[in-house]
Amino acid sequence: MVVVENTPDTHNIVVCTLCSCYPWPLLGIPPGWYKSDAYRARVVREPRKVLSDFGVTLDEDTSVRVWDSTAEVRYLVLPMRPAGTEGMSEEALMDLVSRDSMVGTAIATVPV
Amino acid sequence: MSRVHDMGGRFGDGAVVPEPEDEIFHADWHARALALTLASGSLGKWNIDVSRHMRECLSPQDYTAFSYYEKWMGGLANLLVSTGVMTRDELAGKTTAQISELAEKKLTADQVAGAMARGGPADRESKIAPVFEIGDTVMTRRIAENVLVSGGHTRLPNYAAGAQGRILRYHGTHVLPDSNAHGLGEAPEPLYAVIFPAAELWQHPEHPRDEVVLDLWQSYLEPA
Repeated sequence: MVVVENTPDTHNIVVCTLCSCYPWPLLGIPPGWYKSDAYRARVVREPRKVLSDFGVTLDEDTSVRVWDSTAEVRYLVLPMRPAGTEGMSEEALMDLVSRDSMVGTAIATVPV
Repeated sequence: MSRVHDMGGRFGDGAVVPEPEDEIFHADWHARALALTLASGSLGKWNIDVSRHMRECLSPQDYTAFSYYEKWMGGLANLLVSTGVMTRDELAGKTTAQISELAEKKLTADQVAGAMARGGPADRESKIAPVFEIGDTVMTRRIAENVLVSGGHTRLPNYAAGAQGRILRYHGTHVLPDSNAHGLGEAPEPLYAVIFPAAELWQHPEHPRDEVVLDLWQSYLEPA
């Protein structure tokens, strides 16, 4: 298992274009969209357009690194810590991390 | 040219439809299809690469029309018959299945959690030494095909064939799917994460600094 960290410079997204490889032991059974033709075909070529299907918009300065899981190595995204969470406990921070944010199709945010 | 499953970069697909995180199966039989596939794997008659190849060998018409778990069931039916676990008539319900000699390998409910947690590690010792170092520039095979078997299984997607990238990580030595999917042995060899600028793969990348990383076996690569 390789964990890849999101930073202000780089946003990471995981896919398996050839089938549906996914970090099962940690994230469970992959969602339907992860296994869909649309996600597998599009996210390597137009990740921002796919992110917009999830309602996510990246900063213009942020580049995207897409990880195509072609072997038995599994990838997990470490979401970027949202601004203003410096005082939050580990447990409270856990609530901000969704499954999708660990695949890279969501970002961890503080609920308003 | 590759098979229908190799769709990375393809044009024409519609929107990706997000789902709530508690929505896992869309029909009761999907869970049974998943369970049946995993349980059948425990019979030890095939490996993960054989089962992937079997799904990829569905006809393009079927692969495109089938839902995800229909593909799994189609691949599994072909596997069960081709490995002699069941006959076509047994599958079709035309004959009464006899007690199989494989019955003792049956995956029982109490074994499921352990089997799932073990997964299927693919790292193996190998006599093949890594020839690339992190940072080396490499070129992928020009043709994304299995070089051992015509039309065989490979894990080099078509979109990354003949592309120049850079070694990003070394994963150690892993089972080579191109060999293992065809009864030719595990043939472990060095595996690397190779990073490509999006502009090396696509005519119109979304952003000048975008990149794509793939895990690629040493025999897929040449020094550039």
